[in-house]
Amino acid sequence: MADPMSHDEVADLLALEAVGALEPSERDAMERHLRTCATCRHTAAEYADLASLLPSALDLEPPPARLRRNLMAQVFAEATASPPVSWWRRLIDAIPASRAFTAVGAAAVIAAIAFGIWGATGRMGARTPVTYTVSGTTATGTLDVSSSGSPAVLTVTGLQPLAGTSTYEVWLIPPQGSPKGVAFLSRAPNGSAWTAVIPGSLAGYKSVAATVEPAGGSPTPSNIEVLSGQLSDS
Amino acid sequence: MLSDDDIIRSIAAHSPEGIEALYDRYGGLAHTVALRILSDRGAAEDVVQESFLAVWRRGSTFQPGRGSLRAWICTIVRNRAIDRLRGDRHRTRLDTPIEGESIEPAVSDPWAAVALELSGEEVRKALAELPPEQRQTIELAYYGGYSQSEIATAMEVPLGTVKGRVRIALDKLRTSLADRLETPWQTQ
Repeated sequence: MADPMSHDEVADLLALEAVGALEPSERDAMERHLRTCATCRHTAAEYADLASLLPSALDLEPPPARLRRNLMAQVFAEATASPPVSWWRRLIDAIPASRAFTAVGAAAVIAAIAFGIWGATGRMGARTPVTYTVSGTTATGTLDVSSSGSPAVLTVTGLQPLAGTSTYEVWLIPPQGSPKGVAFLSRAPNGSAWTAVIPGSLAGYKSVAATVEPAGGSPTPSNIEVLSGQLSDS
Repeated sequence: MLSDDDIIRSIAAHSPEGIEALYDRYGGLAHTVALRILSDRGAAEDVVQESFLAVWRRGSTFQPGRGSLRAWICTIVRNRAIDRLRGDRHRTRLDTPIEGESIEPAVSDPWAAVALELSGEEVRKALAELPPEQRQTIELAYYGGYSQSEIATAMEVPLGTVKGRVRIALDKLRTSLADRLETPWQTQ
């Protein structure tokens, strides 16, 4: 069937699309035309690029450093996720919230499996992974440092959901000096576990903690600590 | 320094370094767009992080023939910010062309390079030269998330008038910005 739209009519739609004003009802016709029209695809690219210049007129608002840190921690974690971590996460996510699994029980199951895996790994001669226990008034969990050099993963159950204006921020605390905000705990979809990926080395820190902070995090931790744990192998 | 093409290849290869380079180049722009739309720093940061993670997870769908890398990431961030602004997470969005479509090889994309040459001041001047109703129309759309029909209602003008204003405004911007470039620019 012949395309009923002219280049001029499509250009009108492409301009609207570039600034986000195209009505959904007109998109199909535009896309059909683009599939067979190189001229209009060029126009689409031009208008899209022109629209992307609009923000250049704004004063640049650089994002905070923690945004890059958190993004790349997530990316690297996904890129290098090791099987043990994936299994635990799947296990945690598979625990139905409606069943009588308590947070402590879930953590115990995870810990048992984790120790089994780590024992096997250790016997194979790999660098021994380390696990640290963390706990709070209602929360319990582990901080897992893999044998592969992947970022450490903090997995916690027993935390309550927060309002959108607050977040759980994770801190590494040195023997002296200020705590360093390193990540935010995210709730697993369809699960009761919260996880955070902690980039970089834990060397030089004596403990880990999580606090309730305003969304986006804080430069220093508040007094609302929900869990903590010592970073020592003993 | 990686070119945009290098970054695209790196993302397509699912390399974390590609996302890192993309963020370092366009993270500030993305944050500026999200913050302008949402006027909320926490929400803007969430949108930027979600957007770059989305690129990381499905970056291979980028298709150069439909705009530059800058335009692509701007569109993704803008759409997510507008959806958040409207609280409408079920709205259908096309950040990219549909996967699996037959797409011809990339066409010449002169504006990708233009973006690097133009200063913010030059873009501000070009926008200031537009008639107020044209500038308001594209700002309502781009930063407010208004559709053609919503703009028509808000400005009390026919649908066709909105359509014409947007296209004329973009055509004027193209001409005005091309005039400000030291490097001659060709449309095709």
